[in-house]
Amino acid sequence: MSLVAAALATVTVLVAFEGAGPASLFRHAYLVPVLAAALRFGAVGGALAATAAVLLSAPFVLPEIERSGLTTEAVEGLVTFGVLGLVGVLSGALRARAGRHRRRYEILVTIQRTLADEATLDVSLARLRAALADRLRVDELALVGRDGERLVVAGGDRVAAGSLAAQVLDSGEPAFVEDTGVGGRARRAFATPLISGARPVGVLAVERKGEIPVGERATLEAIGAHIGIALENARLVSRQRRFAAELAERVAAARRELEELDRAKSAFVAIASHELRTPLTALQGFSEILAVRRLPPDEVARLADVMRREARRLGRIVSDLLDLSRIERGLEPALCRVPMKVEPAIEATVEIFRRGTATHLITTECEPALPVVDADPDALERVLTNLISNAIKYSPTGSTVHVSARALDDGVAIDVADAGRGIPAEALSRVFEPYYRVPDAAGAVRGTGIGLAVVKALVEAHGGTVRVDSAPALGTRVTVVVPLARVAHDHRWSVP
Amino acid sequence: MWALDQPYTPRADRLFVGTPLALLVVLAGGAGAAVVLVGLGVLPPCVRPVAGITAGHGALLATALAWAGVRSPARAIAIALLGLAAAAAGLAPLGAVAYLLPAFWVVWLAAHGQLTGLALGTPVSPRGVIAGALVGVGLASHLLVSASRTLGVQARVGHVPDVLAAIAYDVGANVLAAECFFHGALFNRAQRRWSFAGAATMTTAAYVLRYVVDPLLPKNVELVVGAVFYLALLGAINCWLVWWSESLVPGLVSALVFFAAYRTLGAG
Repeated sequence: MSLVAAALATVTVLVAFEGAGPASLFRHAYLVPVLAAALRFGAVGGALAATAAVLLSAPFVLPEIERSGLTTEAVEGLVTFGVLGLVGVLSGALRARAGRHRRRYEILVTIQRTLADEATLDVSLARLRAALADRLRVDELALVGRDGERLVVAGGDRVAAGSLAAQVLDSGEPAFVEDTGVGGRARRAFATPLISGARPVGVLAVERKGEIPVGERATLEAIGAHIGIALENARLVSRQRRFAAELAERVAAARRELEELDRAKSAFVAIASHELRTPLTALQGFSEILAVRRLPPDEVARLADVMRREARRLGRIVSDLLDLSRIERGLEPALCRVPMKVEPAIEATVEIFRRGTATHLITTECEPALPVVDADPDALERVLTNLISNAIKYSPTGSTVHVSARALDDGVAIDVADAGRGIPAEALSRVFEPYYRVPDAAGAVRGTGIGLAVVKALVEAHGGTVRVDSAPALGTRVTVVVPLARVAHDHRWSVP
Repeated sequence: MWALDQPYTPRADRLFVGTPLALLVVLAGGAGAAVVLVGLGVLPPCVRPVAGITAGHGALLATALAWAGVRSPARAIAIALLGLAAAAAGLAPLGAVAYLLPAFWVVWLAAHGQLTGLALGTPVSPRGVIAGALVGVGLASHLLVSASRTLGVQARVGHVPDVLAAIAYDVGANVLAAECFFHGALFNRAQRRWSFAGAATMTTAAYVLRYVVDPLLPKNVELVVGAVFYLALLGAINCWLVWWSESLVPGLVSALVFFAAYRTLGAG
């Protein structure tokens, strides 16, 4: 500024000393400070420097006009006024325009760089705001972005209903406010939508104490459009990466599950082989004894009873395996459902266990006049056998296994409760999975790990439910609900 | 941030809302009646300039005060003080000291925070005052040099009381009323509706027009052209000063310095 002033003063002094008046050759030297001011300060600087030059040279031009009218020298002087003004304003305007373009490209690069990193919308907008605040030279700057139904705001706390930003977000059109009504100098506000796919995904709002010219508003609109696209790209990249990570996680989980299933199956094969071998060994051994040795009738009867029990056990394991095979193929167990009463089934199954074991006391308690259920008698027997067998296996010798039945609105609930060690809470949700065995019980008690899975499949095939309630050290209760027979359900009819 | 926090409704009020039309009609009627009565010989001729100054500057000052939200009694006092000063100045050059009364009244109103709407009574930086003084000195110097070179008009050195009386008139009437209205009120409203360039152009045009139609301006073509040139510059620069400094004081300083130089000219 001071250099421009000094240059103007120097030229004026040269013109004055030359004494040639309005036609002095030195008058052309005014172009130098005018151009310098225009290139340094833009159109306003150029215009001011040109005005100063005109003011300084006026005392040489005007007296000439006053004395002799519009002589050639006077016209030259006036033309010089015009040229100075034109050069100052045009050069300054061009310089300002070039500066605006340069700044615009710099801002676009800044936007791309800022949004290159993967980040949440909150973080991206905050970074973008910090980067733009430096470059846009405004007093206040805010960025608002839609994140689903939520609005993320950088540079403010919220978007008030009816505010300029809210209106632009709704309309998708930029808006300019000449004065926000604050302060002595007009404070302009401009808000432009961040456009992506022809819809507003946010708002860029700026405020400045002073001008926001038309050219700058156009630049801001373009920046808004670029930010919208860049944000959308960043959002897509982020989503793609999130999906990829999620997919990798799912694949890993599935792989872990498959590995676990594979291990469980391997364990199952070993256990099942053992479980099958035991009754087979008994059958083989006792049948050979019966074939080669002559034994008293009592002993024959005892051995036959043992062989019958082992054969039944073998049959149960094979049935479970067949059912499991169907379950794994996505098929329901084959049922032959008839209206039946549960009390005889419970008593019959319990009686078999009472005869077969002397280690536990098995008690039953059935409500009187239980309604008739719609069930497959064989399947119900296998359910009860599995549950009572488990209760005996997982409860200490001398304890009581309690089997009860009660009527519900839509079925009959059968509870099998033991006083065993219970099931840990973390294992409760998995006890119905095929091959799963509670870790601390796996080594202590014989079992294939498919019993409860078969129970669940059989009960659900009936349209019933099964649940387990267990408290460590207190015992476990398995509750099976079998639906009522249709006729009995509708008419409260019961089989005598 | 205003754009996020505050509800926005587009501005609906017009540029001249709040103009005290009744008062302006009374002032115009009074001035007209005075001119007629002087013409009829009912009133002495010295009443005419008093009525003209009171009505002209009073209208500008009262409108500015009204736009700033000052109540009617305070506006009436300002007009009364202007009339009193004009009458006193008409009696003797020393009476021009009375022009300080309306100036003091405006200062009192500003000190009591009633003129913030005119950018008076708001903080003003020394830089702003210095800038105003420099602008005034620059324009005044140029005026003195170019006037002496083109029109052969020289500074009056032998009429100090007249020059001081004219400066007092500028302080209490001419500059005070013009700056309060054109830059304190009109430009202030215009810049809240349009761009700075638009507001400054409109204000400066009105400012120049006010002086061109002033009956006190000599009707010599060269002087009118010169007046338009300098007043356009002064008006535009004062728009920038009030815009930049957010205070009317720098503009008042520049205008007072410029008019003081103008009063020293032989033709002034």
